Amino acid sequence: MARQLEAVEVQVLPRVRGRRRWGSLLTEFLILAVALLVLTVMVYPTAWIFFASFKTQETLFSGEFADYTLANYMRLFESGFGVFVLNSLTIALMAVVISTFVAVIAAYVFSRKRFRWKAAVFGSVMLGQTFPWIILVTPVFILFARLGLLNTYKGMIFCYVAVTLPFSVYLLVGYLESVPRSLDEAAIIDGCPPFQVIWRIVFPIMLPGVVATATYSFLLCWSEYLFALAFLTKTEMKTMPLALYAFFGEHTTEWGQVMAASALATLPTLALFLPLQTKLSAGLAAGSVKQ
Amino acid sequence: MLLPAFFFLVLFYVYPTLYNLMNSFTDLSLYGLRRGGNWIGVRNYVELMTGKEFRRVLYNTTVWLTLTGVSVRIVLGLLLAFLINSDTLKKYRLTALFQVLLIVPWATPPIVAVVIWRWMLDPRAGVVNTLLVGSGLVATPVAFLSDVSYVWPALITSITWNTLPLVTLTFLASLKSVPGELLEAAAVDGATKLRRARYVVLPHMMPAIVIMTLMSTFWTFNNFAYVWLTTGAGPGLHTNVMATEVYLKAFVDNRLGYSSAVGIVMAALMTGFGLVYLRLIAQRQLREAF
Repeated sequence: MARQLEAVEVQVLPRVRGRRRWGSLLTEFLILAVALLVLTVMVYPTAWIFFASFKTQETLFSGEFADYTLANYMRLFESGFGVFVLNSLTIALMAVVISTFVAVIAAYVFSRKRFRWKAAVFGSVMLGQTFPWIILVTPVFILFARLGLLNTYKGMIFCYVAVTLPFSVYLLVGYLESVPRSLDEAAIIDGCPPFQVIWRIVFPIMLPGVVATATYSFLLCWSEYLFALAFLTKTEMKTMPLALYAFFGEHTTEWGQVMAASALATLPTLALFLPLQTKLSAGLAAGSVKQ
Repeated sequence: MLLPAFFFLVLFYVYPTLYNLMNSFTDLSLYGLRRGGNWIGVRNYVELMTGKEFRRVLYNTTVWLTLTGVSVRIVLGLLLAFLINSDTLKKYRLTALFQVLLIVPWATPPIVAVVIWRWMLDPRAGVVNTLLVGSGLVATPVAFLSDVSYVWPALITSITWNTLPLVTLTFLASLKSVPGELLEAAAVDGATKLRRARYVVLPHMMPAIVIMTLMSTFWTFNNFAYVWLTTGAGPGLHTNVMATEVYLKAFVDNRLGYSSAVGIVMAALMTGFGLVYLRLIAQRQLREAF
């Protein structure tokens, strides 16, 4: 299209062509320069973490491309960091499975069923997204203390399911709109029970949306700090973000280990996000926003 | 079938909010939890509305953190989306590369983002100061996070770095869905690039812009971790925002009653905002779905 336009201009204004080409070359150069700058700013900080995590304490800030070592990681795991990784993984994975399961059912009901006050009920679920979590800390702390849920996986999983649920429902309702209604209606007419309709018919078709939603929830749980800070007081129960930050506070001189811990915290989300990115952003742009 | 969802939501959101509402009318302290607080009516709210500190907290939260932070993110997100989708980057086949590399800051957990930026902005070891001093732009290193004139811009920079990719990629997805025929038609009619962007592309992207603005607003307004971990509401209480104020009043000053009142104001503001959000966004979705 741009080429067509240029062709038109060439016919009309043949003499300006020469100057034009230099101008557009300069513009191109500027655009590329800005793009390169942006890319550096966006990628450099995280890349540096991975880079620095393999360096020794002495050469860490010097930028030398010398002597790479796994010492930081070894020392990190010797100091018991593995426990925190395991805690985070357990809590996040369990929470994501439960939250996605509950959200798929809820999204199906909101998308397909008719009942009184539906708009109001759906609206109140959506309001969960706008809710300031910080004000939940004290009441939930007291509730958990009474129920003996402080310092437990159960308590944290409950928290993270509740935290990820509204946004998951929101995304999944969006995805469900792209699943043709006639499919599940046909199944219902054939006498298929409602849960079977969801798991046998709708779920497989909306699987890409479910995966994207689950990934999103995972990132949220994996990096959550506030509730973990409030409800996990025993060291052996702490999650990775807590341990990382505590580590950062205590050992500001131990940059190598801080970097190794940061790299470990970033690796899973990076690995999950790379294959999914187009789906996630397209889902937010198109799947959820009907025009 | 909605019961499981509501089990979580009621227990986690509704009950604690009611509990907070009740506490906000008492002088409950962290030490007197078992005894309970005394009913003091609206005194907490009066203190909050008349106090100087709360006005600053409100200003920090709305003007700095939310208004400035979100505007920067939306504007940069739009510019970046246009840049990535520009003919030049397409010509050199760089669009896909950008799309992939933009995931990197997004996939970096906020806690790690805080750690990196605290290092990068460090006056002694940080790369930003090394560059500034090395290039001769400043004579002495700047303590970005402890100097009141730099701390907000520095904080917003680090938050923007972490949150910009989501906004950009969403805009990019929306930008790519602009029908090609529309653009061609406008070009044939003699519309310049700028005019095409203004009258064809932007209107098409409007829903994505609106939803990202709204979502960024409540994600930012409610966020505790970025400010708390980067500056700890400091230097002094210079970057104290509502989320950190709730935390400070409850767990540093032990005043749960007052902290609840701040929380209720915060929730009320966001509920008001949430209703606007529902009107603009979810309603459209509701109409389609039901």
